[in-house]
Amino acid sequence: MIDERTEEFAALHAFDLLEGAEKVAFEARLAGDPKLQALVRELRESASALAFSAPVAAPGSGLKARLLEQISGSSQAGSGAKLLPFRLPTLIPWAVAASLAVLAAWLGQNLLATRADADALRLESRLAQLAQRDAENRLAAERIILGQEVRNSGQQLADARQQLADTANQIVAVNQHAAEIAQQLKTQADLAQFKIATLSSMLGNSPQALAVAVWNPARQEGLLTVEKLPALAKDQDYQLWVVDPKYKDPVNGGVFSVDPDGVARVQFKPDQPITSVVKFAVTRERKGGVAKAEGPFVLLSQ
Amino acid sequence: MLVVPSFLPGPFAYASGAGTGHPTARRMTDSAASEPPEDRSRIDGELLRRIARRDRTAFAELYDRFSRPLYATALRILNDARESEDIVQEVFLALWEKAAVFEQERGSAFSWAVTLTRNRAIDRIRQRKRRTELLSASSPADLGYADAGGGDDSAEALVFKEKAGAVRAAVAGLPAEQQRALQLAFFSGLTQQEISEKLGEPLGTVKARIRRGLLRLRETLSRRT
Repeated sequence: MIDERTEEFAALHAFDLLEGAEKVAFEARLAGDPKLQALVRELRESASALAFSAPVAAPGSGLKARLLEQISGSSQAGSGAKLLPFRLPTLIPWAVAASLAVLAAWLGQNLLATRADADALRLESRLAQLAQRDAENRLAAERIILGQEVRNSGQQLADARQQLADTANQIVAVNQHAAEIAQQLKTQADLAQFKIATLSSMLGNSPQALAVAVWNPARQEGLLTVEKLPALAKDQDYQLWVVDPKYKDPVNGGVFSVDPDGVARVQFKPDQPITSVVKFAVTRERKGGVAKAEGPFVLLSQ
Repeated sequence: MLVVPSFLPGPFAYASGAGTGHPTARRMTDSAASEPPEDRSRIDGELLRRIARRDRTAFAELYDRFSRPLYATALRILNDARESEDIVQEVFLALWEKAAVFEQERGSAFSWAVTLTRNRAIDRIRQRKRRTELLSASSPADLGYADAGGGDDSAEALVFKEKAGAVRAAVAGLPAEQQRALQLAFFSGLTQQEISEKLGEPLGTVKARIRRGLLRLRETLSRRT
């Protein structure tokens, strides 16, 4: 099926009205399309018919003879000449006239031959110019098309590289995000395992004393925050104990002292591995602490 | 299938054989009017093949068949009898020299000859005129059909007139704007853009008129076969 636009090109081609790249592109398509070739032939025949719409006219009657003479390359002059008796005195003027006539004929023939040669040369020159112009047009069009293809390929390559870089960045971002999510999950899991205990005062003189212990079983360490606990004498320390059923005696969690306001915030790490925390306890001991609780209980978790 | 209008190549009908004395030419003259359309293109092609073998009789015969429409075309483009004869002379010499490269599958011999004539005439008019002169010289108002060869009553001339009448009737059947577009496209030597400027119409409109006009002309002419 030939669309209207192609028909339009075919019609313009029939009148030789296509030019430049448009012409080259159409002729390239024409070369590989038998149906289009048939349409172009028909349209060119129809266009040629317009020759008959010109006012009726005929070339001069001598043109045909001139052409036949030109293509023959030589005339057949003198083939039917009659021989006359030789009469010298009376023939001298005739001889001069004949010589002049022969000379004129020779010059005329040379003129025609020269004209034919000039016509042929002009024709060859024009054909060569047309061929050259056609070749130049084709080369120009091919150069344009090739340049465009190179530019397109370069752009496609750059696009592909950019897409590759974008994809790599996306992979890095996704991996980073996954790591963050994993870290969050791990943190949440750790938090779920944390043990938080409140320790209440066991002393009559400081009933408002309060402490909170947070235990991280994964890392085997904890944080103890104490408030409103009475300050001790210089030779005494508070000592934290962790009660684990695995051990007969509470495990030492370290010693600490409080500031004048009765506040302390200490990070502790028991002496023994803790399997399960049942209670936290704080006792008052001698300075530096003891291996086994001796002093009175100051704080105890519920 | 290639559709060759019945009057193409019209010069079949002009063949007289006058001046050649060739029996083939005489026989074609006598039967020109009744030549089946499908034979005309084939016979022209055969004449070109004989010309390629340096057959002067075939050359004379082809001259009788083609010279009138080719000359009329050149004259319509150049409006100069001497230059038009030069063009026709060049074209027939080209046919003599290039007959061997003719390929009938690519189009008829007549179409080839018309293309050669038109291209040469347009080249010449472009050489001798500035573009502005070219524009002003191709007035659409100058598309009348005033005959210049009315005094010639030879058989060839009569057949030529008959064929010309058939084409003109087909052209006259087109809308006026399509007629103008086709005439300018064929005879003026103007480019697409120049035709558009000449008609004062957008380029797309001009292209569409040329397409529609030529397709319709093809249809009308093919019905005559």
